[in-house]
Amino acid sequence: MNSLFSGKYTWLHSINPSLKLLTILGLFILAINIHYLNFMVGFSCVILTLFIFGTGYSYKQLLLLSLPFLFVFLSTSSSMILFGKGETILFKWAYIQISEESLIRGIHLGFRALSFAILGLIFALTTKPVMLFYSLMQQLKLPPKFAYSFMAAIRLIPIMIEEYQIIINAQRVRGIEQKNHLLKKIERLAIPLLSQSIRRAYRIAVSMEAKRFQSNRKRTFYYEVGFSRNDLIFLCYFFVLIGLAYLLSNHYPFLPNTDVRYLSD
Amino acid sequence: MTSVTSVRNLRLKFPGESKMLFRDMSLSINRGEKVLLLGTSGCGKSTLLQVLSGLVPRTIDIPMKCDDIQIPDQWGFVFQDPDTQFCMPYVDEELAFVLENLEVPREEMSSKICSLLKEVGLELENIHTPIQHLSGGMKQRLAIASVLALKPDVIFLDEPTAFIDEKGTEQIWETVKRIWKDKTLIIVEHKIEKILDFADRLIVFTPDGEILADGNTSMVFTHYKEKFKEFGIWYPGAWDDYKREPIMNNKKELPNTMKLQIFKGYRNKEVKIVVDHLVVHSGEWVTIMGENGAGKSSLLLALMQLIKTSGDYFINDVPIRKTKDISGLLYLVFQNPEYQFLTNSVHDEIIYGLKNDQEIESDVKEILSSLELTSKKEQHPYQLSVGQKRRLSVATAFLQKPNILLLDEPTFGQDSLNTFKILEMIEQERQKGTIILMVTHDHHITERFATRLWEVQNGRIVTDLQLNKGGNVQRGILHEFII
Amino acid sequence: MQKGLKLTDILVTIVISIAFGILYKIWGPLYYAVKPFGLHIDQLIYGMWFMAATVAFLIIRKPGVALLAEIAASSGEFLMGSEFGLEVLLYGLIQGLFAEFILFAFRYKRFDLFIISLAALGSCAGSLIMDFYKGYIGDLSTWNLTLFIVFRIIGSILFTGLFAVSIAKALEATGVTNLVRSSSKKDHEALDQ
Repeated sequence: MNSLFSGKYTWLHSINPSLKLLTILGLFILAINIHYLNFMVGFSCVILTLFIFGTGYSYKQLLLLSLPFLFVFLSTSSSMILFGKGETILFKWAYIQISEESLIRGIHLGFRALSFAILGLIFALTTKPVMLFYSLMQQLKLPPKFAYSFMAAIRLIPIMIEEYQIIINAQRVRGIEQKNHLLKKIERLAIPLLSQSIRRAYRIAVSMEAKRFQSNRKRTFYYEVGFSRNDLIFLCYFFVLIGLAYLLSNHYPFLPNTDVRYLSD
Repeated sequence: MTSVTSVRNLRLKFPGESKMLFRDMSLSINRGEKVLLLGTSGCGKSTLLQVLSGLVPRTIDIPMKCDDIQIPDQWGFVFQDPDTQFCMPYVDEELAFVLENLEVPREEMSSKICSLLKEVGLELENIHTPIQHLSGGMKQRLAIASVLALKPDVIFLDEPTAFIDEKGTEQIWETVKRIWKDKTLIIVEHKIEKILDFADRLIVFTPDGEILADGNTSMVFTHYKEKFKEFGIWYPGAWDDYKREPIMNNKKELPNTMKLQIFKGYRNKEVKIVVDHLVVHSGEWVTIMGENGAGKSSLLLALMQLIKTSGDYFINDVPIRKTKDISGLLYLVFQNPEYQFLTNSVHDEIIYGLKNDQEIESDVKEILSSLELTSKKEQHPYQLSVGQKRRLSVATAFLQKPNILLLDEPTFGQDSLNTFKILEMIEQERQKGTIILMVTHDHHITERFATRLWEVQNGRIVTDLQLNKGGNVQRGILHEFII
Repeated sequence: MQKGLKLTDILVTIVISIAFGILYKIWGPLYYAVKPFGLHIDQLIYGMWFMAATVAFLIIRKPGVALLAEIAASSGEFLMGSEFGLEVLLYGLIQGLFAEFILFAFRYKRFDLFIISLAALGSCAGSLIMDFYKGYIGDLSTWNLTLFIVFRIIGSILFTGLFAVSIAKALEATGVTNLVRSSSKKDHEALDQ
């Protein structure tokens, strides 16, 4: 969420949110169709570069935000490395079998998960939810009743988190038995939290209609979200650099360049 | 006189309820009237506002029918809860939302927003301020500003000050009186002292949704005072008329003491409350007063060890350092009773609090009847009325037999009958030797029940006053500190 | 039944889902913490990711709610900066669609454990399709893949099926669900007595 950390306002903030979202979705689809490790690494570097130099956050903040990624990388790749199919066995112990193919595939998956995570973070760090939904209404014709519902719900997030902590305390005071199993405990927390949330949401919807909100009626917009030259730069950045990464990975592969999918059956 | 809103032979019933909320009820309101609707909670006042504004049944799906209904052309609605009437995160965006609905051109919005805010006296340095940074009273004035944007002739106000402190309440009514003095106002409110001079018509409902009285203020108060007492509706002087039944309980238990020395409570590493030196003994009832955010809740949480603390803290000479140490010694009744309900029926909720299995059923019966909840024992605690919920949560606190009982505004939003009942329940515990520490905004309670007053300001207890319980002398002293 | 979802339905669905989104955000790191052990213990709790869909459907009981709930939960998680990044959005969409399809097949008329568990399996199938494509899980050794799928199915039925039904039932008992239910003809007839 934007409010967790504050960074400088950069050109990435000024990109049209709908365009940013669609571009990132496009990159996602591209990424799951990359099956060669060299290109995958190149692709990840392109995204990482934008993350480090484009988001306007200090290196310390970025480092803090990136810590979970190491974890993402390791955990995503490990099960494929340890249990994936492959012919060229490098190491074998009990059920664990590391083959060259599974090792490469595991590393490939790690990079893929990493680039997804960073793409998502780039978006989240440089996009105000309100602007996103105004843009979705204006550029992608999202019906206002969905857009304003989302904005209202996002406003409730800090209120819900605070309430969640109060409920935990309140139940502790009541002497909730520690021997209850986990699901029972979660349910006891979830009931007050959900019932309060339902009531709140309902009341907000009623008050919105009391303020003459009608989804199907024409409306004006307080924020008009358009396009600028930065949008073009944004698109070019990916086109050019990913193209470059593709060429380089084909001509100067520094890692084994085979299809990571298990093809020989 | 012309009527601006009316309904004839209204029938309305919540699905699943056995009784109709309204049965052939008729009402008509004239242009320019300032009408105050009074009645016990659950008598249907708020629902009536929703019917007259057309929110029921268009937005709120409650089965209703009537022979004839007149809904005003231009109306606005101010709701009770300041946190659930906004859909946008910032002040300007929220007002813009209303202007967007009215198709106001974008170029005109900023200046309109500024003038709306100015009219309700909400002059912010920057209109792009997060709504969460506003106090409750300011939020309600923002709600008034967004209603103002609709240019209403008739304004429905559904307990707009229920969650607001005294200062905020005054500002809200001052604003309403100023900007809408020529409009028709239909108001539901429990804290009526601030608007009695303003209302020119009072309509009183019986708990069954029938109109008991309808007329000008002085007429209604002279003729129906006894009914107000019977139904538990607050009226000016309700506290003066209240005579406490003397409760004598000679069963003295072991005396309790609590000692604090340079005791601090922290939230997010910030010191929120500091207590230099305090000793409290059995038989004391301390009310803790102060503005919102002064540190009252932090004090309760610190005593419960629910936030980080430092310093010396002893109960009956046993040092308290972690959560475990207080188990059984202290209990905190939270403001929202629902947070502390753990079971699916009133009966189970009481059982949950009882420690040993002996004679449980007879105990439960006794407790149920003292709470007047015998007929509701199979009901889900959430389905009880506001007052019943609160009584149940206070009663379950007693069942834990704590040496020290902490309460966070236990009478907040309660009708007069419930308020007196809860206070009497607490008084009984006090006489048994339980130390009572209670956060409240109500000086009547401090004057009539407390033996001691702490006033909290900026995270410190700035006043520690021994009170002469039940004496009238203290009232003058109190005013200096509280108001 | 009224055409489409009303504003109240939409807002309630989204807020419930965001509440789950908060839970997901709290649980996400936990998920990764159990993951590296490779034996797919994590798959046993995977079902919680689809819970928003069934819980919201059981509360509102209208077409489209399950899909909307999954999308809302995943966008909430996405906007809060999930470790999973963008994929949550697509997973949410696919999982929601599959659950919605099952509910549609029964004309949105049944709310029992069996149907809800079927919807859970629908979401589960949707997520597996995504995993085959994105995570190459087909290239895991056979025993490992079987373990993976079986654990995920168990987890789905446990959370999205059983646990969701239990939460919905508890909420029903509190009476709060009455707010969002349409009034019946019978309720209107009761006014004439």
